[in-house]
Amino acid sequence: MPPRIHSSSCCQSRQLLNYLEAAPPISISASPLALQRLAATSTSSSSQLQCSRSFSTTPVTEARQPTRQRREFLKWINDYKEKFRTQPNNGKTNYISQLVTVSDYQDVYEDQPFPNNPNFRSEPVLSSKARHMIWKDVMREGLPLKAVSAKYQVDMRRVAAVVRMKQIEHYMYKKKMPLARTYHDVIMSMLPRAYLTPGEKPFEPINDIHVHSYTMQQLFVPTAESREFTRADAAKAFGEHILPPDEKMRIPELVEMERNIASGMEPEKAYAIFKETAAQSERAFAEAQKAKAKHQADKTLRVDNGRFEFRFEKVNADDVGRNGRSRTAVGWRYGQPFTDRRRGEVKIPTKVE
Amino acid sequence: MKQRRLLRFHGLRRPRVRQTWNKYNLYNLVRLRTPYLNAKTFFQQKWIAKSYTRGYHGEHIKEYQWERMFSRRPLSAVNMDPAYMARRDGSEQASGRGSGLVGLDPSEKWSKNRGNLNQPTPYMQMSFAPMERRLDIAIFRALFASSARQARQFVLHGAVKVNGKKMLHPGYLLNPGDMFQVDPKRVMTATGKPDRSKPKALKVARPRLYKPDAAKAAKKEAAAGAEEDLDEEAIRKQNLEFFEELKKVAYSASNRYRGRHLQAKDKQYLRKMVKEMKSVLAKAVKPPTTATATDGKTEKGDKKGNWFASKIEAMLDYLSLTPAERQNKSMEQHVNDQSAKPASEEASSDESKSKSNKLVIRSKLWKQLSSQQRKNILKAFQGTGGRKARGNSLPYRPRDWMSPFAFIPRYLEVNHRICAAVYLRHPVARPGLSEVPTPFSPKIAQLAFNWYLRRS
Repeated sequence: MPPRIHSSSCCQSRQLLNYLEAAPPISISASPLALQRLAATSTSSSSQLQCSRSFSTTPVTEARQPTRQRREFLKWINDYKEKFRTQPNNGKTNYISQLVTVSDYQDVYEDQPFPNNPNFRSEPVLSSKARHMIWKDVMREGLPLKAVSAKYQVDMRRVAAVVRMKQIEHYMYKKKMPLARTYHDVIMSMLPRAYLTPGEKPFEPINDIHVHSYTMQQLFVPTAESREFTRADAAKAFGEHILPPDEKMRIPELVEMERNIASGMEPEKAYAIFKETAAQSERAFAEAQKAKAKHQADKTLRVDNGRFEFRFEKVNADDVGRNGRSRTAVGWRYGQPFTDRRRGEVKIPTKVE
Repeated sequence: MKQRRLLRFHGLRRPRVRQTWNKYNLYNLVRLRTPYLNAKTFFQQKWIAKSYTRGYHGEHIKEYQWERMFSRRPLSAVNMDPAYMARRDGSEQASGRGSGLVGLDPSEKWSKNRGNLNQPTPYMQMSFAPMERRLDIAIFRALFASSARQARQFVLHGAVKVNGKKMLHPGYLLNPGDMFQVDPKRVMTATGKPDRSKPKALKVARPRLYKPDAAKAAKKEAAAGAEEDLDEEAIRKQNLEFFEELKKVAYSASNRYRGRHLQAKDKQYLRKMVKEMKSVLAKAVKPPTTATATDGKTEKGDKKGNWFASKIEAMLDYLSLTPAERQNKSMEQHVNDQSAKPASEEASSDESKSKSNKLVIRSKLWKQLSSQQRKNILKAFQGTGGRKARGNSLPYRPRDWMSPFAFIPRYLEVNHRICAAVYLRHPVARPGLSEVPTPFSPKIAQLAFNWYLRRS
């Protein structure tokens, strides 16, 4: 059995070997520099506590250290855990814009969740009180959606969505289905909130109109200097089918009210008229919907056999469109193969009703 | 389709900002700067911008799919002030030589269309607007999931409904007015603190189960004994043995079943025990006389606890008595029921008035048990076997590092109580504002937009 070499002595001898190999053969003879280096290595190796791998020259402590980036990350996490780990408790938001105050030579605003993007802001959400107010006005007071929208400066679609979900909430409460109340409270404590109180700044623009791509071009339209070139004229200049903004307004009754006020009517009276006309338009819309549903119901013959309800509708088999592939066409047609099994056809539904 | 995920999803060396609430992601987001691109070729600039932005926007979606979704015509909206519209017809902007009169006083009311910021519309920040239409990303934006990938999993696992119907396609493109709902329990698990404190199972020797066969034999004997007046003390002994067993079960349950995670064997054991208790109980309260039955019903009506309590009491009494004593007692009870029915009613009404939910069990044996043991017996008896949701709200603790990521874009209206949201409209750009939440600077966004212009 060969004599065993102790690990520490092994390390030392290995380092000596390293040194000898690394050095050019001429310097073996006697170089003061080489001797110095030898001394340095021997002292450093003696300062080592232990050497777990007999051929490794790397000190153990160095080898096990995390990378610089990881160390920096851990330090950052440790420094800011008080700030960002928990939810803010003072009714404020907790975005990193508190930390990154300047980005791309621009000041970062407090409501910027992404410091680099000044165009995206975290805008307030409706508080639960505000949502209750909206729901009450629509369901209890019976105000038209347009009037509620104008009253709180909340988009009409949002008003409708709030009421719709509130109704579901009431239903779930009544049926004793589990509600995520604590979750709601926690999330709300992290978000900027709007209470829709009178002094508050308007929640969102309620009269926005879509910008048609035709109107994004620059036109040169020669007109007489004496001519009044209005919005309607501008729309016509962009294209025959382009509507002027006046016809695209979501709540045209609001413009009418302002017109009445401008012509000298008392604001209260103008507002009353606005409410009345808004309610009328809503009623007309509801009636139209009802008539549509009735028309559809009249068209279909329903046969209920207890298990299934068969619905029959009259269709014209020849009504297949220009190329025989009309979306509304019914049935298989000779010489027109279906495309639904073709490669790459998307089967995801496009709407859910 | 299997989803490939990069190994270095939240890497530190080559950081990419992702759609998650991870703390590594937060650190990377804080470090995110617009890279120095002037020394690069235009192609390189676009490539870098694309790789940054795609790392955030739907990195789980394949590139060819996204290229088909991309639109080079971003949507935008402008607010039209009704007060301005009512008073001006727009001709003042074209008066003079075509660009409005110079002398017009801007401070005059209604001279301008108000309600818009005086800044250019950031169309370039809208490149990834079609992505926000996807169901999985909308779920993430509504703060129902802690990452877009998790949201996608919700959909695939059938936890998401669109307009009340289950939707299994994470790539479903929401239409304006669509309402999506996620199972609240899943939402709260996903966005809540992970429960890492697993209850440690104490090493308690499992008590030997009270042998049903032996017991039944003993009972048969006891029944025979009751007729023939045989060894009553033996039966009492048997009963007391059963009671000792019950105590042991309660003790082990108090130690072992404290946590939520019951093993299958433990459950079997508990179930057996409960079955045994019930069989004894059936004997104890047999036959159900009309009076007791009605009492039970009324009490069940206003207080479930008391009903159980009375039953357990009956069982314990049964166990402590010899057959002869039992007979005597049943006679007494019969007489009492006949005479003191109104009194018991009064008592029950008093109890309901005081509204104390405490169980009233006046049995010697019951008193020998510790409170935890009693609780466990009741729990086992009632068959709840675990926690019950209190009221109709669920408990919740938010996860760490969540608040810096909490925002809701304006194209969604969210009701967190029912974990539902309505996709109101497509995201739009307004003067100075864009509704697409993207962490990148306008410069990067523009370059990425240019990259995709190539293909569309």
